[in-house]
Amino acid sequence: MKRRTFLAGVGGGIFALIGAGTLVYSQIPVIPKRPEPDAKTAIGWISFNNNRFSLTLPRVEMGQNIATGLKQIACTELGADWDRVDVAFHDTGMDRVKATVGSESMMLFAEPLAQACASLRDALEAGRDSGEIAVTPRPGSELRAMKKCGYIGRSPEIVQGQDIVTGRPLYAGDVMRSGQLFGRVLRAPESVERSTRPLSWNADDARTVPGFVAIVEDCGPAIGKAQGLGIVAERSGALDAIAEALAVSWDVTGTPENVDIQETIDIDANLAAGGLPHSVLDGVPEDGKYDVDQRLDVPLAAHSPIEPRVAVAEWQGGALTVWSGTQDAFYVRDVLLDAFGADGVTLQSMRVGGGFGGKVSATVELEAAALARGVGAPVKVQWTRAQEFTLGYHRPPASHRVRARVFDGKVTDWDHGQVSSHIFFTSAVAPKWMQRATDALIGDDGVARGMVPPYALGRARAAYDVKRLAVHTAAWRGLGAGPNGLAIECAMDEAARVANEDPLEFRLKHIDDRLLRAVLQRVAEISDWEHPPCYEDGLRKGRGIACGIYKGTSYAAVVADVAVEDNGATKVEKLWCAHDCGMVVNPDQVRAQCEGNLAWSIGMIFTDNLPTDKGVVMAQTFIDAPIPRNSDVPDMVIELVESARAPQGAGETAIVAGPAAIANAIRAATGVRIEQFPLKQGDLAV
Amino acid sequence: MSFTLNGQTHDIPDDWREETLLVLLREHFNLVGAKFGCGVGLCGACTVIVDGVATRSCITLARDVDGGTVRTVEGLAGEDDLHPVQQAWLDLSVPQCGFCQAGQIMSAVALLENRSRPSEAEIEEAMDGNLCRCGTYPRIRAAIARLVEASI
Repeated sequence: MKRRTFLAGVGGGIFALIGAGTLVYSQIPVIPKRPEPDAKTAIGWISFNNNRFSLTLPRVEMGQNIATGLKQIACTELGADWDRVDVAFHDTGMDRVKATVGSESMMLFAEPLAQACASLRDALEAGRDSGEIAVTPRPGSELRAMKKCGYIGRSPEIVQGQDIVTGRPLYAGDVMRSGQLFGRVLRAPESVERSTRPLSWNADDARTVPGFVAIVEDCGPAIGKAQGLGIVAERSGALDAIAEALAVSWDVTGTPENVDIQETIDIDANLAAGGLPHSVLDGVPEDGKYDVDQRLDVPLAAHSPIEPRVAVAEWQGGALTVWSGTQDAFYVRDVLLDAFGADGVTLQSMRVGGGFGGKVSATVELEAAALARGVGAPVKVQWTRAQEFTLGYHRPPASHRVRARVFDGKVTDWDHGQVSSHIFFTSAVAPKWMQRATDALIGDDGVARGMVPPYALGRARAAYDVKRLAVHTAAWRGLGAGPNGLAIECAMDEAARVANEDPLEFRLKHIDDRLLRAVLQRVAEISDWEHPPCYEDGLRKGRGIACGIYKGTSYAAVVADVAVEDNGATKVEKLWCAHDCGMVVNPDQVRAQCEGNLAWSIGMIFTDNLPTDKGVVMAQTFIDAPIPRNSDVPDMVIELVESARAPQGAGETAIVAGPAAIANAIRAATGVRIEQFPLKQGDLAV
Repeated sequence: MSFTLNGQTHDIPDDWREETLLVLLREHFNLVGAKFGCGVGLCGACTVIVDGVATRSCITLARDVDGGTVRTVEGLAGEDDLHPVQQAWLDLSVPQCGFCQAGQIMSAVALLENRSRPSEAEIEEAMDGNLCRCGTYPRIRAAIARLVEASI
């Protein structure tokens, strides 16, 4: 019995159902399964045929160039030349692998892949060249790919690099199936937490648009509570005109809670109303006045990959194939199975045109599958930029207050409170009843990530709360660690000022972790920390430093120089970063990840903000929600400190330190401690 | 209506004339190097070169290139060699996700064809309209700088 049928039979209760045309979609979320990779699974990633090796990537390629990194692991362990290993992206026919999130690819997948390759190498050396082989795990010390040899520690030409620079089809949007049509699902311009559905529309007018194919009422599950109306055209360019001609009027019911986002998460209002329920550090600071008492707010922010999410769906009989640049092919496959009860669903993962944590849920895949079923032809759905902003999930806004007391050059008391919205238990997937349970029992570790300072701070308390908002929030590069790092490192900078100490020395005095000390000392050396820029050519100049640890495994320290004009216009002039993620498989690509994190750090300080009004995202274009431009991002010096550890993550580390280094440089240049991000030019005008 | 696309003359079919150049290239000619990123000319992922000028194909109508010359990233490389800009992009491992890079490359090609030794301000003006979320900007500048040096 298909689950949908089962649910329809039960009805009511917590098995709430949403009617949508002739079909009924479950409101019970599909829970992502995220198995840890092991050597046994890894044998499915590598094969040998016709004297060539084929590596099916267990990870999604979204610019971290993990395809290159894992190919280096495979080539090294196999003893194979670079050109003898072909790389393919996985579909869901392979054994399940966990989502490509959390900067885990090298940390978790390198060794299992090396184990599988070592066993394959042994089998080939023993004269076997067909059949399945079993993996015999061996000590890590016997794996060639876990040492600096072969391709390890080198930076070969990136996989698919030639295809990228020559414009070959690589992304889901480049897929063109025979007879393929183009679709879009229109939804009400309201909060996705309001119940909305199409009420009436001008079908006759829409049919007159050249290229019109169909209106599809049964267009897949709601996004949040927003049910849609599907349109299909021969050419993607006709979709705007069809949408305009349709002039859909919407039935809108329900009032979403917490439409005033700023008021809802205001840390001071929440503190005044009582404590914060989720404790991260449970020290008890002494009562009394604090030396540092700092508010810091970051707003809702979009991921803004340049590729809006896109999928192509094709039905053959009862079987569905979907091409998508998703970070979690298996989860999306599961959701498609749940929604459509198809005989079989295959999801082919494609190169992702920027993920950053934003392409984990199932959206365009469901829309494309429903529209393809409706019109009996393959359909591509690509969200418009406005849909990305209004229907996607975003970085939650967060409101922080950090208090610190300083005595005799050391922090003796620390109290950090934060109110934000959900990340792991995102409203985009978890209904309110489920969040009530998680809120009561476990909180949200995504929000808490990076909230424990990497310092010995005496009597230290840190606690947070999460509020369901009228906009959906979830994972964004670094999760809570970016904003938490910003709050912590700005407060530490103020504490150093109170102590009248150099911010580098002050930090070092509070750090036991030798690896964190090492990156701080290294970044000080490469930036010539002792000699900061000063007032020059009518510009206020300043230098800032910050550091942090991501997920307990990767380390970064950043120095920033800024220059501020009288009118407040501010430019980051240079950035230095020392980074330690253990053994480096591909130094050039670890550097590239650091560079990306630093560009995002600039975004966090100067641009990232998705404006809302009464719970509705108002941004439609990059003018309303800008991202950093070429001239905003300065030259950078990246120094890789390679501690003797297995490879760790690099994709989200420097963002724990970069933003605060810039904010602290602005403080040094201007005396202004920014409390509300992004910075407005007027904040620094004289 | 017809135009020159990567050196060859092609008709613009009647029912494609009111489409954007981006849709014409991707959906009629199957040239998918130029990307849809924003649809309103703000991100530059759709950049192609029209009559020597870097142009946002998502806000250019197909009929507006009638009689013109359009070059896309697919037309840059020779039989055996990449275009120097493509090669510099590879040598410096510029791409991360790669989605914006065809547009970046076309903007850089147009810049360097019009200015063999562009100033910093000219580079900024030419490249600031091409957004990249991955943060490859410093490498884009480094690749352009390398090409400028090589041309001296």
